[in-house]
Amino acid sequence: MMRCVRARYSGVAIALHWLTVGLVFANLTLGLSMVPLPLSPRKLQWYMWHKWIGITVFIVVCMRLAWRLYRRPPPHVAMPDWQRRAAYGSHLLMYVLLTLIPISGWLYSSSTGIEVVYLGLLPLPDLVPKDRTLASVLKWTHYALNSALFALVLVHVIAALKHHFIDRDGTLARMLPVAWTRSHP
Amino acid sequence: MKPLSRHLRSLATSSVLAAVALAAPVASAQDVLVDKSEIRFVAKQLGVNVDGRFRKWKANVVFLPADLAKSKAEFDIDLASIDLASEDSEREIRGAPWFDTAKFPVAHFSSTSIKDLGGDKYEIAGALTLKGVKRDVVVPVTVKKDAAGNRVAEGSFTLMRLDFNIGTGMWSDTKTVTNDVVVRVRIVLPPAT
Repeated sequence: MMRCVRARYSGVAIALHWLTVGLVFANLTLGLSMVPLPLSPRKLQWYMWHKWIGITVFIVVCMRLAWRLYRRPPPHVAMPDWQRRAAYGSHLLMYVLLTLIPISGWLYSSSTGIEVVYLGLLPLPDLVPKDRTLASVLKWTHYALNSALFALVLVHVIAALKHHFIDRDGTLARMLPVAWTRSHP
Repeated sequence: MKPLSRHLRSLATSSVLAAVALAAPVASAQDVLVDKSEIRFVAKQLGVNVDGRFRKWKANVVFLPADLAKSKAEFDIDLASIDLASEDSEREIRGAPWFDTAKFPVAHFSSTSIKDLGGDKYEIAGALTLKGVKRDVVVPVTVKKDAAGNRVAEGSFTLMRLDFNIGTGMWSDTKTVTNDVVVRVRIVLPPAT
């Protein structure tokens, strides 16, 4: 096997990938559990944290895109052409969704008349006016985009596991932290 | 949709009522242009500005710059008509810990004196009754003319929500919702006749 020369993602790319995973998972859980809560100070607090985490995801994704332009990802592991194209398409779509979801949440908040202040320090401008109809459209949009991301992440995970356990081609290993790869050769 | 005849009839009725009101011996009220006017407020919720307004209110305003003693401003605000972030929060704020609109449906303001501060600035002092609590408030106002010659009065004042028992129980913590709420009023009156 050519395990030693296998091209890996850079440390920065790996760190930012798993940071995105953690933040998105946390915010999805928070988002789904805060919505049905009865109105209370706790609910307001959770909404605020949800917004802060969402903006953080946006920043992390921008960093990832910038890093990707600066340091190209390693070449693909050998696989059929359709798989390579599917991987490219789904990665692109995940970047698009990870950018659009925080923006839709921010606009949704503005359309309900609630300003977004990142970490309680940085007020974001209200780009849309307070409007009940717009708010319901943006709420639906935020939910629909998240559903699409969830479906895509599911495909992404299944594909990674398939490459790892069935094809055994090292696709997953090149995105795993070095320490993990060493302890699970 | 109401049939046109019904519209005309209600228009006729209100004209009669207006005529009766005008015939009263006191200084006549000047019709506030409700569509151009608004009563808004801003509170801070967890450090973030949250703004809202009242959809329904009535005003009785007499503004005579030359005779401020006869001038007055009275407002009746339908508290249940509040416009907030969501239907959820509107339902919450009508409840007992907040406005308790079942018991106290209307907030009332009545001016006691209007002072000329020079230029286009005035100061309206009056009493605000909200949730059964009556407090004196002073509202600085500027009056300007818009392009159509309407008189536009804009003023704002800060009230302490806890003075009126608004937001009690779990909501009384001012770290969640600040005690001070800024009320902004914009009243548009037709040109003076």
